Amino acid sequence: MLLPTATYRTTAFVTAARRLAVELTVASEQPSTFQQAQPDRLLTLPFAIPERAALEAQAFATRVPVHGVVGVDDDTAVVAAAVAAALGLRGHPLAAALAARDKHRQRVLCAERGVPVPPFALYATTADGAALAARVRYPCVLKPLRLAASRGVIRADDPAGFTAAWQRLTALLATPEIAACGDWTRQVLVEDFVPGPEVALEGLVTGGQLHTLALFDKPDPLDGPFFEETLYVTPSGLPPPAERAIAACAQAAVTALGLTEGPVHAELRHNDHGAWLIELAARPIGGRCSAALRFADGASLEEVILRQALGLPLPLLERERTASGVMMIPVPRAGTLREVRGLAAARAVPLVTDVAITAHPGDALVPWPEGSRYPGFIFARGETAGAVERALRDAYARLDFLIDPVA
Amino acid sequence: MSPADIRITAEPIDTGRCKFLVSEPVHAGGVRRFTSPVEAQGSPLAEALFAIPGAEVAEVIVSGNLVTVAKRSPAPWQAVGKAVGQAIRAALASGQPAVAAPPAAAAGGGNDDSLYERVADLFEQQVNPMVARHGGRVELIDVQDAVVMLRMAGGCQGCGMADVTLRQGIEGLLQQHLPEVKGVVDITDHGAGSNPYFAAAKK
Repeated sequence: MLLPTATYRTTAFVTAARRLAVELTVASEQPSTFQQAQPDRLLTLPFAIPERAALEAQAFATRVPVHGVVGVDDDTAVVAAAVAAALGLRGHPLAAALAARDKHRQRVLCAERGVPVPPFALYATTADGAALAARVRYPCVLKPLRLAASRGVIRADDPAGFTAAWQRLTALLATPEIAACGDWTRQVLVEDFVPGPEVALEGLVTGGQLHTLALFDKPDPLDGPFFEETLYVTPSGLPPPAERAIAACAQAAVTALGLTEGPVHAELRHNDHGAWLIELAARPIGGRCSAALRFADGASLEEVILRQALGLPLPLLERERTASGVMMIPVPRAGTLREVRGLAAARAVPLVTDVAITAHPGDALVPWPEGSRYPGFIFARGETAGAVERALRDAYARLDFLIDPVA
Repeated sequence: MSPADIRITAEPIDTGRCKFLVSEPVHAGGVRRFTSPVEAQGSPLAEALFAIPGAEVAEVIVSGNLVTVAKRSPAPWQAVGKAVGQAIRAALASGQPAVAAPPAAAAGGGNDDSLYERVADLFEQQVNPMVARHGGRVELIDVQDAVVMLRMAGGCQGCGMADVTLRQGIEGLLQQHLPEVKGVVDITDHGAGSNPYFAAAKK
């Protein structure tokens, strides 16, 4: 299990492994304090250099048998693919995982194979933003090639908006923390804004065939200028033909990228021209959102993923009958979190199953587009998607974030 | 005290286990763990929790202001939690001890006491020096029926990798050195951690 130290996913995957009675080795990019004492259970791998991580995993596997490998985010999905290739394990091919991680490469491959993606162009961050503003088409969206959670993604409707967005995004990419991540931080993707409702498709690819595990509606319109996500509710209220078009578009993208074995999470839009692929990642849904999904016999998404990686029989890949949803709690404003009030009232809202505050007192809260960290998550289950959405909004309205202004 | 004055915050860990933080002390005499209605006899709160219809409560742990309930039923905590809250309020409002002192046999020695000493020694000699490198500390709260109850503090409390430390590190050490340990229960209020070593930050 490849778990970055900053992931939200640790508990869900460790719990799933225990439920399956799987012997787990956890690899992270920083050493655990127990690594020397438990060298079979804990490992440090250089996630930033997948080829080296694969070699080190190969050396580890000469000592401890490894039967499957799972990554949880964009970077560890690539490392998992490299490890799987080195050890002959199930997983997406490395080239496919690399293509899925890079938004430009992903669009090139999809466009070449006729998958509907917005028209796009790639520019160096050293380019003259004002000059570009005069020749791009509006409305457009500026994106970094990799950052997660729509971090740095900004819509521009006119040249003035483009110039401001260009400055903001290139400044973000130039921050030392991000600039150190590689050459991709020196490029910006600019693509047409695609109007229409956006959905998220959670899927499992087996033998190159995509199985849709859940299709989430995003009831809050994502029209920009920033694209912080809030509500995910499933089942989708889109008409069946639109759902079929979305599934077909996602399958076409899976084929175009060459993904064959493992989880995928895709963002798509649907309008009068049909389904459009916005992003497809070779990893499961992020944050704590997977808790909104439950399959046959109460299996979690993480159990499904671990079973597939290990070649264990899969449960029936049918989501539970009830509607389910999650709200990624928006960052109210910039500052330092002092306290969250109203938790008991939020948890008491009918249909709400959990309110998880993941930010801690003293944490800096950074709004989008510079930020990427939600302060928490709200979950609800009910008979209809509409009732779930109302419960999530009601619970959110009862929360009060006390935030000290930035000094 | 009026039941209305008692504030209870539910913190589900997963579908099977939930912590309830209570504004008043529920049991000041250390930790009590109950794994059946028979064990709960004489402790009004535990008796009431095991009797919640449809919940199939499997385990109750009471320590200070914290009540941890494990259930077998797939019923959501949103429904079961209300019954748990009512039971806690009723037990505290009665004026009687919500949880009885441990039976003399359990309190006065036996295997758990011996195991407690060895677990405490392992924590001091190995576990705490290791987690101290990340500013953490692990407190041994109790050992009951060979199940170790612990609380994490400092850099471990609320840490995004706390479960890895617990399951891959501490539990592994216990299995290696004290195979008679049957399980490990973390009763930490991770939500209250103010200085976690690793904070979740990526989607």
